[in-house]
Amino acid sequence: MAHRWAMVIDLDRCTGCETCMAACHAENNIATVDAKQAARGRAMHWIHVERYWEGEFPNVRARFQPVLCQQCDAAPCEPVCPTYAAYHNEDGLNAQVYNRCIGTRYCANACPYTARYFNWWNPVWDKPLQLQLNPDVSVREAGIMEKCTFCNQRIVATEIQAKAENREVQDGEVKPACVQSCPTTAMVFGDLDDPNSQVSRLARSMRATTLLSELGTNPKVIYLERESSHGND
Amino acid sequence: MNAIYGLFPDTNSARRALAALREESSRLRIKPGAIVLMSSEPLEEEGFGWEKQRTYMPWLTPLGALLGGAAGYALAAFTQRVYPLPTGGMPLIAMYPSGIIMYELTMFGAIFTTIVTLLISARLPFYGKRLYDPEVTNGKILVGVADPDRECSGEIGQHLQSEGAEQVREFSSE
Amino acid sequence: MATTSIAPEYAIDIKPDQIRQDLLRPIFQTSRRFYVLVFFLVAIGLPGIFLYANQMSEGMGVAGITRPIFWGIYIANFVFWIGISHAGTLISAILRLVNATWRRPVTRCAEAITVFALAIGAQYPIIHLGRSWLFFWLMPYPSERGIWPNFRSPLCWDFFAISTYLTGSTAFLLLPIIPDWAVVRDRASGFRKRIYTILALGWRGTPREWHRLEVAMRIMAVAILPVAISVHTIVSWDFAMAPVPMWHSTVFGPYFVAGAIFSGIAALIVAMGILRKALHLEEYLKPSHFSNLGKLLLVMSLLWVYFIFAERLTVWYGNQPAEMAAFWSIQRGRFAGLFWTMVSCNFLIPFPILAIKKLRTITGTMIASSTVVVGMWLERFLIVVPPLEHKYLPYEWGTYHPSVTEIGIAIGTLCGMILLYVLFAKLVPIISIWELKGGQHKKPFAEQALSAASRSGVHLDSTLPSTNS
Repeated sequence: MAHRWAMVIDLDRCTGCETCMAACHAENNIATVDAKQAARGRAMHWIHVERYWEGEFPNVRARFQPVLCQQCDAAPCEPVCPTYAAYHNEDGLNAQVYNRCIGTRYCANACPYTARYFNWWNPVWDKPLQLQLNPDVSVREAGIMEKCTFCNQRIVATEIQAKAENREVQDGEVKPACVQSCPTTAMVFGDLDDPNSQVSRLARSMRATTLLSELGTNPKVIYLERESSHGND
Repeated sequence: MNAIYGLFPDTNSARRALAALREESSRLRIKPGAIVLMSSEPLEEEGFGWEKQRTYMPWLTPLGALLGGAAGYALAAFTQRVYPLPTGGMPLIAMYPSGIIMYELTMFGAIFTTIVTLLISARLPFYGKRLYDPEVTNGKILVGVADPDRECSGEIGQHLQSEGAEQVREFSSE
Repeated sequence: MATTSIAPEYAIDIKPDQIRQDLLRPIFQTSRRFYVLVFFLVAIGLPGIFLYANQMSEGMGVAGITRPIFWGIYIANFVFWIGISHAGTLISAILRLVNATWRRPVTRCAEAITVFALAIGAQYPIIHLGRSWLFFWLMPYPSERGIWPNFRSPLCWDFFAISTYLTGSTAFLLLPIIPDWAVVRDRASGFRKRIYTILALGWRGTPREWHRLEVAMRIMAVAILPVAISVHTIVSWDFAMAPVPMWHSTVFGPYFVAGAIFSGIAALIVAMGILRKALHLEEYLKPSHFSNLGKLLLVMSLLWVYFIFAERLTVWYGNQPAEMAAFWSIQRGRFAGLFWTMVSCNFLIPFPILAIKKLRTITGTMIASSTVVVGMWLERFLIVVPPLEHKYLPYEWGTYHPSVTEIGIAIGTLCGMILLYVLFAKLVPIISIWELKGGQHKKPFAEQALSAASRSGVHLDSTLPSTNS
């Protein structure tokens, strides 16, 4: 049975601790680059926490927003790919098939969120760090595009398990690495097609909004706006 | 194939020689279509009488274009269906993008057909031995008769000579 | 029926023998300058190949592009070269269609620019690929993977457009060369003769051959025009299809086409000026040719100003925050210097030179054209880079500096282009011999001949004997 996987991020709960970033790196075998390359903008973080300031000094507060691939329903990155490396799978995810990618980087230009990352170099891990690679996720070579998959390997594993046990996937059973690791449970993952799922209920909240909604990309990452942002806390 | 031909320095003498050969063709037993003309530039406006040339090229080109366009649609429709992958909420066979593919293949069909028609109808390339004289590219105009009747070939040569041929030569493919 | 009366300033009053001698000289005589030039082009261009090989083995990281500027001067060069390629075929086709007799010495060197610039430009989408060795996955062919290219992708349209244009313009260039190769064939000896015999396809110059060739060229001139327009339109759609501020614009299609023709004419004038001196073609490429093309360049310069004004006015008036970031960075920010250089090179400098008749000389048009070529490269750079530096989310902004690899490959392809052109001018008469001679006949003579022929009822059978009989 097809799902419509989505994520809700409660900005009131995000403390900007960046645990999600670390968890994502560990789960998805994301290559790291040295400081010089990172300074040139070649660091790869499928999810990253943006910090911005609200208010005037001295009444200033740091705000945080985790940004990842928005898994758009009308994704601008998909149709521009000449080799179908980027396409929409039946679960509504923006799939990225590494083997098909030839590295035109067109998808990355077309993505309004700049959520796609390019492998400028072949990935290297200092020994013995290569031993901690996740066997469920392929390692990407130089010259191809990658981005947040909503931890597709976990989704597939859970679906297989549920099928083996002859049952449906339960709400909250699939947890991408970032969701699992969030200490304040600011992130919730689930099926939008199930009206009773936690994600669906939160998505109906008055606070629900999407990033750059004016572009009509219909993201499946839904942010719950800060309630306190209008107040004087 | 045998041939006898004259090399003429200018269009006037070549034209006169042609006219003479045509007038006398039955007496000299020149077969229809055996008169040969070669020049280093097109003589269409020089009154040699072959502006009546016909070719189907202007009809074949649009035909090739239509075939190309149809092939474009078939390609787009077939390939996107055999391995259907939705992208960006677009239909599999999207109208506007398929239109671009059809347009380009239409033009490709037209161009390709024109080239092929040109080569086939002008009988190019041909690398065998056939009637030709390098003097043609020196600006001489070649007027001759292919496979002349053996008895008349001398008289044909005289005709060519008297109309102003600089040289009269014979050709044999053996 | 073609009119063959020629205005005196274009008339080339040279005997056919002299024409052949002048135009065939580069083929049969090789000067030391030629070897020196080829040596330098190879020497300067060769590092580009090594840099490209290094990029393939090390990864795209050796290029200056970075996130979020995923396209850099590779794509700017791509657009630039494809633009240059609009010189030849388009101009040549238009001049052929309107039967402008002064075109005769110009067409071939223009068409050659098209073919080589296109071949060079088409390398860039491959060079810029992360995995260039898999470039053929862009082509539609039944593969063992069972998957076909995505025809909704503008890059796929590029493939179709460029291959159609390359086929068409190559034919457009080569078909009228066949009779000239026959001329070379009949004069050459040894190895050279064997090569040119193959190239000449057994051309003899029979009425049938001439007729088919001329009909084909008339059809090609009509067919190639819409293809040329579509090619640069589709190149512009590579940008316009992506929702990037200042890319997502409907004006891009015509804007790019106008810019392409603009830079193409400029490149043609530069090439003609150099050929004129290098191959001693002073009697063939006359000041009037430069003046005429200069007028055309002037029109395109005005058109370019019109388009860039329309584009920038629309963005400025719309005042959308995302677009304005890119807009101001071009006009006032980091790219202001390049922007105003571009405006000077494309309009402020060439406009007076081309508009004032006294300045529209060979030197004048050469200067104007050189600045236009530079200006149009800057234009492409400013289209590709600043919008990518300023996409919607300010925390994703970045800066781009070309790396040694990118510059080296750019120089390499420039040398490659010049080398191809030099070799072409060496191996092929750069001015069409038969078309030049064809343009020399005086009309009264032709008319008189025609009427004489029709009076005497001369009629020549069109069919010719074939040897297989």
